[in-house]
Amino acid sequence: MKWHRVKALLLKCYYLTINSPDRLCDMFYWPLIDLFVWGFASFYIKDISDVNVLSALLGGIILWVFVWRSSQDIAVYVLEDFWGKNLYHLFSSPVRFSEHLLSIITFSFFRALASGTFMALIASLLYSFSLFSFSPLVVGLSIFLLSLFGWTTGLFVTALIFRFGQRIQVLAWSTVWIIQPFSCVFYPLSSLPVWGQWIARLLPTTYIFENMRAMMLGHPVDYSTYAISFIISMIFFGIGLVVVHWSFQSARKMGMLEKGD
Amino acid sequence: MDVIEVKNLCKSYGQLKAVDHISFSVKKGEFFGLLGPNGAGKSTTINMLTGLLEKDSGHISLLGKDPVTDWEYVKNRMNVATAYYPLTEVLTIRQNLRVYGRMYDIPKREQKIDEMLKQFELNDLQHHRVITLSSGERTRVALCKGLLNDPELLFLDECTVGLDPDIAEKTRRILKEYQRERHATFLFTSHYMHEVEELCGRIAFMNKGKILKIDTAHNLKKLITKMTVSLGIKEGKGALLKEFLVAEGVEVIFAENNALIFEVPSRGEKVYKIMNKIFKKGFKLSDLHIQRPTLDDLFIAVARGKK
Ligand SMILES: Nc1ncnc2c1ncn2[C@@H]1O[C@H](COP(=O)(O)OP(=O)(O)O)[C@@H](O)[C@H]1O
Ligand SMILES: [Mg+2]
Repeated sequence: MKWHRVKALLLKCYYLTINSPDRLCDMFYWPLIDLFVWGFASFYIKDISDVNVLSALLGGIILWVFVWRSSQDIAVYVLEDFWGKNLYHLFSSPVRFSEHLLSIITFSFFRALASGTFMALIASLLYSFSLFSFSPLVVGLSIFLLSLFGWTTGLFVTALIFRFGQRIQVLAWSTVWIIQPFSCVFYPLSSLPVWGQWIARLLPTTYIFENMRAMMLGHPVDYSTYAISFIISMIFFGIGLVVVHWSFQSARKMGMLEKGD
Repeated sequence: MDVIEVKNLCKSYGQLKAVDHISFSVKKGEFFGLLGPNGAGKSTTINMLTGLLEKDSGHISLLGKDPVTDWEYVKNRMNVATAYYPLTEVLTIRQNLRVYGRMYDIPKREQKIDEMLKQFELNDLQHHRVITLSSGERTRVALCKGLLNDPELLFLDECTVGLDPDIAEKTRRILKEYQRERHATFLFTSHYMHEVEELCGRIAFMNKGKILKIDTAHNLKKLITKMTVSLGIKEGKGALLKEFLVAEGVEVIFAENNALIFEVPSRGEKVYKIMNKIFKKGFKLSDLHIQRPTLDDLFIAVARGKK
């Protein structure tokens, strides 16, 4: 692994972003829309039922962005090289696949951070909601664990892209939303049906959002659940790395890198 | 030292043997051509050498090293250019070159990029996105990138497609100069025979995944054993001449009153003898054209499945 090559790839991601309105919209437009919809929805719910769901919803939305951005960005920036027909030059250069992945993961993390910060700022302006009503340690841990899981799903989608090519690109945008209902972002685990709860317990994300809601109700932080989340994440992440490596090798065998398709 | 050494290299896609037990070696400073019809396996060969494609079996050594174990050493000293894959399309030319400049850790990057842009006459376009460029301009961008790291070994897979004759000529000059100055080694494919003939010392003639022959262009042309003689005939004596030639055992391809085409072996003195006899018989000619074998003929013959 060579730092100058990772920097080269980060530079490429940066150029792809500033040259493309799509990639900028990803970061600010959609998260902003989410904030508006859920913020106003919670005002309405409060009006008709006296329950204050604002904090739970906003906390969920802002934290979810780390899963969303990480996952989708990895897949999209991998796809950029397919769309831009750049695989040929990229992989005949000295770059290693691990450097390619590392640069994309790093870049997606900064993009997620920018989105998250932007949302936190807007939320505090519009709704006087502060993410840092939780301890910075909890916020940091949550962001790390959620990003880690986002990278993991990103790796799985990447593996599928290198195995099946651009025809499965819809997964780049959709995968993360299959996971969301089971991650208990906006509602407690208990509101899922029993089979859904089992799925939810296998997802590292669930523990983060459960903890967040518990803290809002004044319960103490349960660090053991972060540990569980971390262990599950690392297992998935490890499997993801193996699968993506295998899929890249198969792409090299099948001639996917020369055709980009 | 052999800069490229390939032994028994194979690659199949399912039933199709894209590259079938080929072996060749290229010396330092050599301009080596891979020639053959579409689907012959030229690109597949190059892609295995550049590491884009995994070989099924066989041995590859580049710059005296194993490209798998000495990946970084080899890849930093080689490069590749093709007209078929432009650089990242939504990036500008300069942005692309900056990315690859960093990738190869080139010292004084900006200066080097300026030099390359000037050499390929892309200065004015440097802030345009690759996607907006014409195919000839894209080709030049690919060549810029190909020479960016001053490679000792350069793979050029149809890198001159779409260039206008003026730029194509300049490009060939740049490549030849580069080869001379740096003593660089080239592996080159092209569909333009005159280009292959002009640039390449030795040529490997490929078809259906196999190398049929490796030789100089001059010697390869000898594989085409016939040349074509076209005559314009005065006094409408075409039919008479045909009769005469057939009696002499010459293969007449086409004959009418005022024109006739026949084939003779390209080696030996047969053509002079026949022409002498024609003059002696009193036939008067209005035109004479002797078509010596070209690489094109060889190419077409192989592509159409003749020997
Ligand atoms: N990725 C691939 N999958 C399946 N077949 C391929 C692939 N790449 C090349 N081929 C086939 O392999 C043969 C050789 O192709 P190629 O090396 O591109 O030929 P050339 O460059 O000489 O025109 C062709 O028949 C082509 O269709
Ligand atoms: Mg080809």
